[in-house]
Amino acid sequence: MNDRQLYSELLSAWEETYKKGQLTLWIFLSLKDGKKYVEEIKAFVEEFSNNTMTCESQSLYRTLRKFQHLGVVDFETGEGNKGPERKYYYLTALGMQLLNSFTGRNISLFFSEKIRTLINQEASK
Amino acid sequence: MKILTKNLIFFSIAFMAGAVVFRHGLSYAIGNRLHGLLWAIAGTYFLYNLLTGWFFGKRDYESLPLFDLGFRFHFAAYLIFNLVSWGWFKFGLESQFEHIGIVYTTALFWGISLVIHFIFFLALRKESIKGIHKEDIFE
Repeated sequence: MNDRQLYSELLSAWEETYKKGQLTLWIFLSLKDGKKYVEEIKAFVEEFSNNTMTCESQSLYRTLRKFQHLGVVDFETGEGNKGPERKYYYLTALGMQLLNSFTGRNISLFFSEKIRTLINQEASK
Repeated sequence: MKILTKNLIFFSIAFMAGAVVFRHGLSYAIGNRLHGLLWAIAGTYFLYNLLTGWFFGKRDYESLPLFDLGFRFHFAAYLIFNLVSWGWFKFGLESQFEHIGIVYTTALFWGISLVIHFIFFLALRKESIKGIHKEDIFE
């Protein structure tokens, strides 16, 4: 295995591990942005993750059903585009609190001056 | 925890239909001393329950991954089977060779296994939040 292959495989393996658990964050972020139906959530996740995160609609429905059961997400029905009524999902107060706590404890770290400088240094090399 | 789901209701209906047909076949085979048919009915009934349980259980988990080790389905099966069996005798549909004691004996021994299942369910419930396993919540 040459260095190029090694680099590629290591990066894939790291990303695979890193992405585990990230779909929740992306779904929550898309709903913090506003009420959305499944296709809009999917589009948001794919667009803002630069297509590094992809999700099937069926998988999203299942995940949202689970979050609704847990009380972090809920929906209201609204008119579809010339079709049947759509479910517009939104974060409940619990969901919003959960997202804010999670990002505060785990994501905001990356915005500290020191870490931002380190990331930018790496990127500029 | 959500207990009664759409798939559990469908399973219960299918299970009840199976239990009624089984009881009918059982009484017929015993009443006519058809031992070969008795085994065939028991085997078919076993397979039928296995398939309906697998089918609706899988759909139920795919719809909402409730982590109950199949206890809700087991409990529903226990209630339905024993109620159908008890009703069979109360309505006088049994053969002349059957006695209601077997219904109570079945309920007792099956009940013991149900209690053991319930203990395992309670023990593992600590690993879940509102019935969903902690590892299944965030993806």
